[in-house]
Amino acid sequence: MRNQANPWLTNNLFVLGLGMLPALVLIAVLLYFTAWAFAFSFTDLALVGRKSVEWSWVGLENFERLFTRRGFLESLWTTIIFVFFSAIVGQSVLGFLLAAALRGRNSVLKNVVEVSIMLGWLLPDIVAAFLWSATTAQTGLLNSLFVVPFGLKPINFINEFALPVVTIANIWKGTAWSYLLFSAALDSVSREIVEAAKVDGATPLQRIVRVQLPIIRPHIATNMLFITIWTFTYFPLIYALTGGGPGRQTETLAVFLYNQSFSRGNLGFGSAISVAMLVIVGALSLIYLRMLREPK
Amino acid sequence: METNPAHSRLTALALAFMAIVWVSPFTWLILNAFDPASTGRLAIPQSVGLDNFADALSGNAGRQFLNSMLIAAGTASLSVVVGISAAYPLSRLRIPGRNAMLWTLVLLRMLPSAGVLVPLYFAAQRTGLLNQVGVILALTILNLPFTLLLLKNFFDTVPVELEEAAYVEGANLFQIITRIVLPMSKAGLAVVWFFSFTGAWNEFLLPLIFARVQDAFPMSVGLYAAFGQQGAIDYGFLAAFSIVYAAPAVGVYFLLRRNMNTGFAGVGVKG
Repeated sequence: MRNQANPWLTNNLFVLGLGMLPALVLIAVLLYFTAWAFAFSFTDLALVGRKSVEWSWVGLENFERLFTRRGFLESLWTTIIFVFFSAIVGQSVLGFLLAAALRGRNSVLKNVVEVSIMLGWLLPDIVAAFLWSATTAQTGLLNSLFVVPFGLKPINFINEFALPVVTIANIWKGTAWSYLLFSAALDSVSREIVEAAKVDGATPLQRIVRVQLPIIRPHIATNMLFITIWTFTYFPLIYALTGGGPGRQTETLAVFLYNQSFSRGNLGFGSAISVAMLVIVGALSLIYLRMLREPK
Repeated sequence: METNPAHSRLTALALAFMAIVWVSPFTWLILNAFDPASTGRLAIPQSVGLDNFADALSGNAGRQFLNSMLIAAGTASLSVVVGISAAYPLSRLRIPGRNAMLWTLVLLRMLPSAGVLVPLYFAAQRTGLLNQVGVILALTILNLPFTLLLLKNFFDTVPVELEEAAYVEGANLFQIITRIVLPMSKAGLAVVWFFSFTGAWNEFLLPLIFARVQDAFPMSVGLYAAFGQQGAIDYGFLAAFSIVYAAPAVGVYFLLRRNMNTGFAGVGVKG
């Protein structure tokens, strides 16, 4: 704390410290609760019944169950597919393409596209789920436009293609974030560099792949970090749309965690699931942060 | 991307198509919301009326709207006030390891919220906070790491020289913060407030577990409960209710739109 040059700060250290106090208290509470969530993962605590009061320490039993019982590994695989297709392929690529295509345009079209993809992002999760269940229902838009006019029987998309529907709904909902981030990133690439590459005879594709993408690499890493983590732990849309079903087809880890903790009441096992999720998310974040730190 | 006109027109066409695809799921919502005799099918209404909206704003539904408003505005304002008073010292004082600490906290928050929910629930139960105040406090706690990081980054961009000049002119700490720092990071404050507001407005899991009685339901839980209900579902009402529920978050965004875009640049660049 050596800000001798800034007397309005050094003279008021007490006031500044006092200002930080509420935040520090709340952070301490957060840490305390997180520590408890960790501790629960070594117990057989239950939501109701005898074990909600007389719980005991069970060591690593919960973590063993992750690998020996059915459920966790299947959910992990579902989550990986969901994250890969909806966040990495869908949201990032689509967001980047939109940002690149709309760059430099200053027209009605740009505003219209921006507003329409923002609507998906701004919509509350439960409304989005409601909307997609109506769109894919037997009397919904998809069937009335593409199935019934060809004389086919209406398809119940949520039952037949649960994972693709959830994936598409999440792309629809989340692309705006990637778009906004990439569009801010592309604005930071100076026009001169792109022009210079053009003069040197680079094709439009080369200009994107060789010039713009390397420059905005830190933004790509930031974007990947955020959307991977969000999608990995995303709960309400899937839960409200399918509840993890049919069967377990859309039971991602977040839904699995909720079902185990609050439907079945296995709080100890549920905590072990969330610890495992934290480990996976932490490992992914480290990879992305490395990408971020390498020389620009 | 401006190579030749034909190419550009093709891109424009593709973009327009994208926009149409994106808004198409709304057709069902709009058609049913304005149809007083809605059946839940995708059909042009026989008559157009606002009866569904009247239902969606009165009685139980109206109370749920107020609950959501209270939770969202309360969380956003509390987060911003607590955030400002901690982020300013964090940005200006050279506290060792402050960046590592903030990032650790943000990563810690990546823990799926259902995990922290269990201890939160027990604590709220013991302190009698299983109500709106409890939801506001819990959401503020969960938001805080992200809020602090964003606000600190925005305060970092305010030049210290300006504060120095103000100090020389005789301004005290309070004046420096309210007259210089806050106005200059207005965009950042708007972004943080907006994020907390929509986050709390959309929040589903926490109120689902905290709200014990129907009177305390916010709209997210209300809507979920309504379309899970047995028997005849009133689709017109649900569609109108969805629109009412979605409107504030969308509205606040368009009010803050200009600030938002500048704010986003700040989110992305900071590593």
